[in-house]
Amino acid sequence: MKNTAAKLLLCLVPILWQQAAIAGPEDDRKAFVEYFQSRFPDVSFAEFANGIYAIDDDARRQWQDIEEFPPYEFAIEQGETLWHEALPGGAQLADCFERPADEIRPAYPRFDADRGEVVTLAVAINDCRQTHQLSALAYDSEELISITAYLAYLARGKPVAIRVPADDPGAIAAYEEGKRFYYSKRGQLNFACSDCHVTSVGLYVRADRLSASLGHTTHFPVYRSKLGGMISLHQRFSGCVRDVRAKPFALQSKEFRNLEYFLSYMGNGLEFNGPGARK
Amino acid sequence: MVPVRANRSGALLGVLAAVLMVTGCTTTFERRLAEAEQLRLEAAAAGAEWLQTESLLDQARDEAAQGDTDAALVLVDKARFQAEAALRQAEFEATAWQERVIK
Repeated sequence: MKNTAAKLLLCLVPILWQQAAIAGPEDDRKAFVEYFQSRFPDVSFAEFANGIYAIDDDARRQWQDIEEFPPYEFAIEQGETLWHEALPGGAQLADCFERPADEIRPAYPRFDADRGEVVTLAVAINDCRQTHQLSALAYDSEELISITAYLAYLARGKPVAIRVPADDPGAIAAYEEGKRFYYSKRGQLNFACSDCHVTSVGLYVRADRLSASLGHTTHFPVYRSKLGGMISLHQRFSGCVRDVRAKPFALQSKEFRNLEYFLSYMGNGLEFNGPGARK
Repeated sequence: MVPVRANRSGALLGVLAAVLMVTGCTTTFERRLAEAEQLRLEAAAAGAEWLQTESLLDQARDEAAQGDTDAALVLVDKARFQAEAALRQAEFEATAWQERVIK
């Protein structure tokens, strides 16, 4: 009798664990959305995809003027050219992705169970190049960012629907690592991502207001006026980490990919609207 | 007039003292540099390294190479302080982050 009860309990543990895991990311996301909607009750859910422009009227007006002649158009054009360029052997980048071009951006980041890690769009593009005997592009290179800008443009209007498979402990672990990174204080200034973009969201840091994290990943890559060029989401991560005086991780490091995975999941249900333009 | 022999002995003692002082300082510097570097590596392994720690150690090496061991040691101590603080931060954050999760 005692043995039977023990066996039953052993059988239930994975099921209960799985149920808890299923609830985890989705409960997190709902609480995340509710928090920002309660902080900004006049801002619709969809509007959070516009980042700081959802909550800062002055910045929004400037952005709307900039969008008259989008500064990221050159990147989209360059990306389109590179996307269709013939690779050695006559293949194209599109051949590596088993889906239409407008559905490629929404498919990333994803957890690759075989590799046991999060794969982002930039990593997938470089994987494709290397499969076709080309060298990987630097993650801050104009070429790679342009290709992601083109794919982001094609995906405009598509919903963010990142999956964290509940039956994949690796995916859950990667998500949890990203979450831990997001909420952990680091650097000489002892700041977490959440200190600025949750606790202090909407407040000023010098002349700029702090954006909400809800929707942070929908619009990358972005053209940054102060830099006069395009930057990737991971370059933005790197800048934030540096700003709190911590040593940044490498672009596309495991740490940043997990952070992208967590933040992207938080934005599920919003629409992709990249590439974007920021100050 | 001081005898030449006494003068030579004094000079030799002076040189010896200087050599010992320099060697002693260099040894102290190298030991403290190695300790600070080890702590920096531990902070890096914990994913918690601060922005300027490595450059402080690089600057310390430069100062030592130029012979200013005192300035080098000041920089080493700053780097060590940063590395130790980063490790304490990581240790604290191992659980503290959970309190910040939006629920």
